[in-house]
Amino acid sequence: MKQFEYFSPKNVVETCALLKEFENDAQILAGGTDVLIELRKSSVKPPRAIIDINRLNELKGITETESEIIIKPLTTHTELGSSSSIKKHARLLHIAAHVIGSPQIRNRGTIGGNIMNAAACADTVPPLMALDATVKLLSVNGERIVPIIDFFIKPYQTIAIKNELLMEIRFPKLLDSMKSMFLKLGRRNALAISRLSVAAILRKSDSGLIQEVRIVPGAAFPKWQRMTEAEKILVGQKPSKELFIETGKRVSEAMISFTGRRWSTEYKEPVIAVLVRRALETCQ
Amino acid sequence: MKKVTIHTSVNHKHYELEIKPNLTLLSLLREELGLTGTKCGCEVGECGACTVLMNGKAVNSCLVLAPQIDGQEIVTVEELAIGNKLHPLQESFLNHDAVHCGFCTPGMLMSAKDLLDHNSNPTEEEIRTAISGNLCRCSGYQQIVDAIQNNNVSPLKG
Repeated sequence: MKQFEYFSPKNVVETCALLKEFENDAQILAGGTDVLIELRKSSVKPPRAIIDINRLNELKGITETESEIIIKPLTTHTELGSSSSIKKHARLLHIAAHVIGSPQIRNRGTIGGNIMNAAACADTVPPLMALDATVKLLSVNGERIVPIIDFFIKPYQTIAIKNELLMEIRFPKLLDSMKSMFLKLGRRNALAISRLSVAAILRKSDSGLIQEVRIVPGAAFPKWQRMTEAEKILVGQKPSKELFIETGKRVSEAMISFTGRRWSTEYKEPVIAVLVRRALETCQ
Repeated sequence: MKKVTIHTSVNHKHYELEIKPNLTLLSLLREELGLTGTKCGCEVGECGACTVLMNGKAVNSCLVLAPQIDGQEIVTVEELAIGNKLHPLQESFLNHDAVHCGFCTPGMLMSAKDLLDHNSNPTEEEIRTAISGNLCRCSGYQQIVDAIQNNNVSPLKG
């Protein structure tokens, strides 16, 4: 493995000072499931400093207020998947946490790492975007809160500058009338990297009409986004298979209009449409 | 590169070690502590051959940086048998012919141990999920699942 200096700061203040000291030449280490793989690649220039944040207990755990869920970034996927708050108030995120990597990866990998690494296949991001999450960043220059929808620039690139530390992820609890689903398609069942995924939230009125819908595909666009055009055709309508098929088609068209026709389009075009339909049909 | 001093417990034995930081837990176990029961397979967290328990949870030791085990408890496959007496899970693997080439076995055992430590009577689905991060290149999964499911029972051989 490459050479670097290793730091294990005891609190956030120390961490921010180290991040400032090494500016663009530090890598934060959380669960390590992505960072260690990068450190071993011979083609990648190693950072001068590895800053292991695992001692920062203030960055661990899930709490809830009356209306919101607050997740600290060092929460592992296993913890996320076993949290009763998440299961009750953000079912799609609960499902996503269970299909990431393997048990070993879920025991180490963190939600903060999943966000900050910003791989297009990051499975917690589409649910968080559908949940209207915000992220809080801290540096020696102060704190800022950014909606997750504005956080990503392209795969592996976010608006966070190098000396910023992710402090928390926060989103409103889903109402009882909001049903949700996360579906992922990989090349095999276990340990699969998402080829495509869909996060969906559907709210129906007492009379059974769709009041609100949020659809966020994963691994489909260069940058995650809500499918606002496709969502529009659902609002005010009665749910039906035909309507969900049409919505899937719209998402598929939106994807191709962004990415163009590539080697994988022949496969992704019908598959994303089916995933969207199934996600909407199975929202519960 | 500045060395790092760590205090850690491996198989309930306390160690104070001065190590280079760019070492994985896997290399530390195999090369510094001579615990070669933990196998080195893919080194990218996909095969599970290097699985050990960290604070009671299965992890890929190839994806843990050695300095990160400071203050933590590690248990490896060497801890299962007591002297010449195999752990019941190991006996069960033998009884069910769950060991083919044997390379995945230490990792499989540790994933199974994590499962059984938290759930003494798992369903087949829970077992398959628990070992979903462990590849068996000989593809003897059914015997492995049987061995974990019937870990207290000696099947009739015939």
